[in-house]
Amino acid sequence: MRKIPARALTAAVAVSLLAAGCGGGGSDSGTTSDGRTVVKVALWNYDTTPEFKALIEGFEAENPKIDVQPVDILADDYADKVTTMLAGGDSTDVLTMKNVTDYSRYATRGQLKSLDSQVEALDKASYSGLDPFELDGHYYALPYRHDFWVLFYNKALVKPTGADLSNLSWADFASLAKEITKGKGTDKVYGTHFQTWRSPVQAIAAAQTGGDQLGGDYGFFKDQYELALDLQKSGAMMPFGTAKSQQVHYKTVFESGKVGMVPMGSWLAAALLEDKAKGVTDVDWGIAPMPQIKADGKTTTFGSPTAFAVNKKAKNPSAAEKFVEWASGPKGAAAIAKVGVVPAYTGDEVQKAYFAVKGMPSDELAAKAMKPDAVNLEMPVSDKTADVNQILDEEHELVMTGERSVEKGIEEMNKRVKSEVQ
Amino acid sequence: MNTTTLRKDSTETGAPPAAPAPAPPGRRGELGTTVGRVLLYAGLIVLAAAILLPFGWMLISSVKTDNAVFTVPIQWIPEEFRWQNFTEIWTDIPLLTYLGNSLFLSVTITVLQVLTGSFAAYGFAKMQFPGRDALFLGYIATIAVPWQAYMVPQYIMMEKIGLVNTHLSLILLQAFGAFGVFLMRQFYMTIPDEISEAARLDGLSEYGIWARMILPLSKPALASLALLTFVNTWNDYMGPFIYLTDNDLWTVQLGLRQFVGMYDARYAMIMTGSVLSVLPILVIFLLGQRYFVQGIATSGIK
Amino acid sequence: MTTATKPTTGSTGATGPTGATGSTGSTGKQRRRRNTLVGWSFILPNFLGFAALTLIPVIGTLLLAFTNWNSYTTPEWIGFDNFRRMFDDGNFWTALENTTWYAVGHIPLTLVAALGLAVLLNRKLKGVGVLRTAFFFPYITSLVAVAVVWNMLLSPELGPVNQFLKFIGIANPPGWTTSTEWSMPALVITSVWRDMGYYMVLYLAGLQAIPGELYEAARVDGANAWKRFWHVTLPGLRPTTFFVLVMLTVSSFKVFDLVQVMTEGGPGRSTLVLSQLIYRQGITQGRFGYASAISLVLFLIVLSITLVQFQLQRRSER
Repeated sequence: MRKIPARALTAAVAVSLLAAGCGGGGSDSGTTSDGRTVVKVALWNYDTTPEFKALIEGFEAENPKIDVQPVDILADDYADKVTTMLAGGDSTDVLTMKNVTDYSRYATRGQLKSLDSQVEALDKASYSGLDPFELDGHYYALPYRHDFWVLFYNKALVKPTGADLSNLSWADFASLAKEITKGKGTDKVYGTHFQTWRSPVQAIAAAQTGGDQLGGDYGFFKDQYELALDLQKSGAMMPFGTAKSQQVHYKTVFESGKVGMVPMGSWLAAALLEDKAKGVTDVDWGIAPMPQIKADGKTTTFGSPTAFAVNKKAKNPSAAEKFVEWASGPKGAAAIAKVGVVPAYTGDEVQKAYFAVKGMPSDELAAKAMKPDAVNLEMPVSDKTADVNQILDEEHELVMTGERSVEKGIEEMNKRVKSEVQ
Repeated sequence: MNTTTLRKDSTETGAPPAAPAPAPPGRRGELGTTVGRVLLYAGLIVLAAAILLPFGWMLISSVKTDNAVFTVPIQWIPEEFRWQNFTEIWTDIPLLTYLGNSLFLSVTITVLQVLTGSFAAYGFAKMQFPGRDALFLGYIATIAVPWQAYMVPQYIMMEKIGLVNTHLSLILLQAFGAFGVFLMRQFYMTIPDEISEAARLDGLSEYGIWARMILPLSKPALASLALLTFVNTWNDYMGPFIYLTDNDLWTVQLGLRQFVGMYDARYAMIMTGSVLSVLPILVIFLLGQRYFVQGIATSGIK
Repeated sequence: MTTATKPTTGSTGATGPTGATGSTGSTGKQRRRRNTLVGWSFILPNFLGFAALTLIPVIGTLLLAFTNWNSYTTPEWIGFDNFRRMFDDGNFWTALENTTWYAVGHIPLTLVAALGLAVLLNRKLKGVGVLRTAFFFPYITSLVAVAVVWNMLLSPELGPVNQFLKFIGIANPPGWTTSTEWSMPALVITSVWRDMGYYMVLYLAGLQAIPGELYEAARVDGANAWKRFWHVTLPGLRPTTFFVLVMLTVSSFKVFDLVQVMTEGGPGRSTLVLSQLIYRQGITQGRFGYASAISLVLFLIVLSITLVQFQLQRRSER
């Protein structure tokens, strides 16, 4: 009696193992059964990221001989999975480069195919965010989207102050934020919200002062830190410790009308449009240019491009190149502008398509915000980037929680970057 | 408080040497016992409530809107109950497929781990042969290396064999761990050797002793091994994330992470999914913990 | 290896078949050979899978510690360079210190809590199954929920824990996860809360193996509950405690998920642990050689602690 269940279990396991061995994997031939060339594209959250669908469908409509298949990877740990896959010799044709740091790592390891000839054929002047992809005169990826930071504001909260947001200095910004702040407890409305990342302090300081975030001399962070800490102290901004430990998200606080102004990447626009369409929020929002150190009418901000690259071990490299070229070119740009995403390729047509999106603010202020005079790279690219990034992140946390004074924090950043990063 | 409960406890545990419970609870009419029991229950319930608070938060968040999940201060009673989260999640993501995959993987891995682990443990605990201890130490040693360190070499190996993106890869990786061997060996060592000696004199082979004497005696240990293996496999995220690419092979833990986007996340849905994914574990646990009762034969044999 | 020639080794407390009949000379050898074969046959099914899929990559990883490898090109042998680098790396020392602190807090507290719970819930009570399940809940609650609620409970100004501390007269309660000084204790508290149910399950299984008549005999001798706990329960649980101790040690030194979700190693580097450093250096930064070197050191630390635990266990069984 006792032995029968054990045996049955063993048999069941054997059968299921066989079944598991057969299942999955899929066809690896590189063509579909009806003879179309397969291009596999590694990307994230296909179902909830409309730009990918727009690009793939647009491309397939023009290239009926090619079947583009998404390889869906979770956004959260995308880079880790791609690193592992490439280490194993994976042959996925196109790889989406989430940021420039990851890109430089794959490219310098020799995992990406050179796209020099494609870049040569481009109308370079119409591209923003192409330069960061140059490594020793070579290109291994083409940007298709280029987000940069603007100031999102809640019209209901900002309008009553009568403030003009078209040409704010940081000092103006701070006093406006304090003016907006009101209420207590659950009804508290904050003037502004800085996400706990280091970018709203450090990257903007670097972009507007010309400071070098890899340089090991971080005196240029000082003013922006004092601004942020002052906002926090005056109650116009949520304390960093609370925001961090309660995982407060900029979109949530902005959509629920708890904050007046949020400096954030242009990607927030698409998310707000979507949530308004779904009825998640009814916030009346607008876009303004980033505040400046000196309010002289010129806008300098920072941004980070997203790109497509071709895997060196791609199964169908020429079809993959065709897709990358199309997606980053004018047609791809038009396709993603229509879903509210800022493309890397800019042209009047594309601009028009972007502002024509239903619900997109199209006033003069928004138009000015979306045409900054200079967009610097969020973080310069080099083999030191990741290490420096880590150090700056850690010290940022300590300064913002008040564990370290601004001076001490900057001193520590200088010291650690010089001694720890070779 | 603590010592009194402890004292109470031992009168209880110590009592039943024979299999059928000798004194059904509640029949002891003495006043002291009743007061003690009330106190014990009260204490345990308070403690359990404290223990369950985060789970409560998870439950509450599962019927909130996405924007209401992370708030300052925390919101214990939602302004708006979104019960439809529990219906929408089935169509938003192929949750049923994910649950099926998780179940398949967890059951297969648990069965294999329990079978091979308890089998190997007999060799380590009840047999004498050269190299045994060194081999055992080898087993233990590998537990000391963090998976983060060898996941890439392991992945490369799997890719070479061609098993990446199959359930089989995960089954093979997780079914033969050292955990089960170690756990079962420790338990077998508490079983008196006289039992196997007697069986040997009766002419049973070592395999016979394992199957007929040792296994039935180690039900509690088998139950805890099965429970823990099941839970760990069910909740594993990194393993399936690295090895499974096709969406129709994904497990629940992967599926739920789809709600985390590049710039934002649908937290209410994640919590809804988490609540649903805990239910199977609950059932398994409630069923499995019944085996935590005194083994009969340990006391039966002289 | 020498153990096999001795009739009773005492090494593991098991008296195998050799121990029972070691007298007949000529058949002894045969018997030993047969024993070896049978012993191996028990271990083989598990060992094959284990060796091929875990042991080999683990050994490979430990070898990578002496190379420079980015996961793509061929590894380059660089001897002890990675270890020299580690010696100068402030992050390594910080992580090692933090990990040790975590282990020192987490191991004894979890052990005691798990043992207490198991003893408490090892009885025939109505609803004991539900209670056991309840205490297992922390382990199966989503990590995100755990992090949020504990961060809320420990929140410096509004959290109930600090409210209580202020109430009982502590003027300056700790800043918990927002302060470098208290973030590690906060992490330890949360981890003990989370893991105790897990180890309780192991102890519950262990308790069932203690023969009931031992308690009976102790009671006849007039031992009170406390004495019975010390003289019957604890000794009876020794193999389980050994297992729990080893697993706790290993998992404390390898702690990753909870830290990642709760503090991400911060504020600053105050909760940075070794596994995080290994992950960052390996997967994130692509320095797999260096990451392997840190793993090798972590491995040696854990292994030596485990060996000490083994020795202590042997001695206590003699």
